[in-house]
Amino acid sequence: MARLNLDQVSKSFGTAEILKAVSLSIEDGEFVVLVGPSGCGKSTLLRLIAGLDPMTSGTLQIGDRVVNDLAPAERKIAMVFQSYALYPHRNVRDNMTFGLKFSGMKKDEIDRRVAEATRMLQLGELLERKPRDLSGGQRQRVAIGRAIVREPDVFLFDEPLSNLDAALRVSTRVEIARLHAMLRATMIYVTHDQTEAMTLADRIVVMNKGRIEQVGAPLDLYFTPANLFVAGFIGSPGMNLFSAHLTQAAETLTATTGFGYALPVKGATLASAASVTIGIRPEHVLFGETPYQAFSARVDLVERLGEISYLYCATVNGTPLIAEWRGRHTPSVGDTVKLSADPGTIHMFGADGTRVPDAVR
Amino acid sequence: MPELTQSALSSKSGFGRLALLVFFLGPAVVIYAAFSVYPLIATMALASFTTDQAGAYHFAGIDNFILLLTDKDWRGPFWNALGNNVLFFIIHMLVQNPIGIAIAGLLSLPALKFRATYRTLIFMPTMLSVVIIGFAWNLILSPLWGVSEGFLKFFGLGSLFQPWLGLEGSALITIGLISVWQFVGIPLMLIYAALLNIPEELVDAARIDGLSHLRIFFHVKLPLIMPTIGLVSILTFVGNFNAFDLVYAIKGALAGPNFSTDLLGTFFYRTFFGNQLQLGSPTMGATVATAMFLIILMGVCVYLFLVQRRLERHSF
Repeated sequence: MARLNLDQVSKSFGTAEILKAVSLSIEDGEFVVLVGPSGCGKSTLLRLIAGLDPMTSGTLQIGDRVVNDLAPAERKIAMVFQSYALYPHRNVRDNMTFGLKFSGMKKDEIDRRVAEATRMLQLGELLERKPRDLSGGQRQRVAIGRAIVREPDVFLFDEPLSNLDAALRVSTRVEIARLHAMLRATMIYVTHDQTEAMTLADRIVVMNKGRIEQVGAPLDLYFTPANLFVAGFIGSPGMNLFSAHLTQAAETLTATTGFGYALPVKGATLASAASVTIGIRPEHVLFGETPYQAFSARVDLVERLGEISYLYCATVNGTPLIAEWRGRHTPSVGDTVKLSADPGTIHMFGADGTRVPDAVR
Repeated sequence: MPELTQSALSSKSGFGRLALLVFFLGPAVVIYAAFSVYPLIATMALASFTTDQAGAYHFAGIDNFILLLTDKDWRGPFWNALGNNVLFFIIHMLVQNPIGIAIAGLLSLPALKFRATYRTLIFMPTMLSVVIIGFAWNLILSPLWGVSEGFLKFFGLGSLFQPWLGLEGSALITIGLISVWQFVGIPLMLIYAALLNIPEELVDAARIDGLSHLRIFFHVKLPLIMPTIGLVSILTFVGNFNAFDLVYAIKGALAGPNFSTDLLGTFFYRTFFGNQLQLGSPTMGATVATAMFLIILMGVCVYLFLVQRRLERHSF
């Protein structure tokens, strides 16, 4: 169990800067998920923490040790890979004990650890089998078992569920959450799947282009995204974003979109004539008569999922948006609907893309 | 298309089915039969005849083989050539293949620069004509004008120099090592390709398990490329027991000194075509050729039925 501290960590491959001065503190026992689009540097960051690649600059601390120059095995970490990376020529038991044997650990201790991992992951019947005789889910469990027997301070997961089918992904996700509750170890988990991120994480780290965009609890990211990138990345389908510009009339500042949606705005940081972005999540769009400012849109496509349906709409100037409809009797394609949103659910972002807090009245 | 194939194969008309088989399989069968099966059978058939003084052929059954294995004039050279051939094979297995594996392991290290250059340089001798190789090494090792003596002297090792190609005790080993130098690129390439096939994540996992690069090589990579090493071994075996050209280029058909570099290939050549005081004999030549075929066949069978079945192939 240990804290983990990244200070100004950078990584370049030749002239390409993959990670740009990333700083992050992870508490003991915390489950942190690194999430971001492919190429954002999240896997690179995990490999740096594991010690598989050297960092270009910066400091990495695990517990109270600076581990920059330590080999992966000396960092007291364990890693679970997307492809499972089991040794194909060894059976399940040997896969788990492989590293321990080479470290010169006593046999009793190895047996104790294997027995414990076996019990925890229900690997009992699989111990003598070779990886090729296992299903994908079983292989991933063995890979997790191999991590557990190392009794590491920090567990690293690199997209561990990406190779599993949808049903197994859900059950293995639950299993990992259960494992975290049981072991109380520090875990760092990389994924591009925001459902995994939201469900597993104590804190989510959203990364983009080698930088950290925002760090926060899942619901904080959802309700108060720090910038446009996080706003668009967290939530599915993504937040509707409309560009607007501010006009001052008498005492009130108003944000007006190209299709005539006008929102009264407060906030000392905003000035007239500035351009802003208004964000409304599909699930926060309201239909029909409401006390709020409204605009009209035409329904282009209806996606029925059962409990909810998504209406793909276009405003009068053609700006696309998605609205969530609850219930059975959806508007039909071609209908014009009147849309609005509670100001409390509307997000506003300044010209530089950062959030303007409490901007909408 | 699927409907077409289905209907063509399941059609009731036996003739249509036959026509289809002939169309697709015919050319391969004809070419294989004409250029592989027929020469093999003809050779074996020829081995069961003898010629008399007048040059007429008589059926002799397995007399030629008995002659080859028991006659005092035949059995000595035959066992000598076979023994030399076994030694030639052992040299390749002990020197060529381990060096090939080691260089492939070095080439697959991620930190290595100029990889393609090394690969090309090491593979270069394999592409050279064997006549050039034989000539070049004859010059290099020549005690009269070769560079090797001066080269050793430069390092203060001049006293070690011997005319290796001319000594009975060392000629075969020397030619074996020249052959190793020539062909090391082939196991290198095959094993390098197999090593590239091992996923990077597996090596990462082993590093996290605390294995050094050397241990990763011996405990993870090597077991996984065993099928390729098996393949390399059997290719080496077949190649060595068919070897002829390098000995012929360096030492001529007499495989001197005193037949100490004689392989089955050169022995066969002298038997079939004759040499100096020896008359050529097509029937005894065919006998030697058949014996060589049977030896290689036995080796390949041992590999296929005893070795290969124990090798596990791994998919990643």
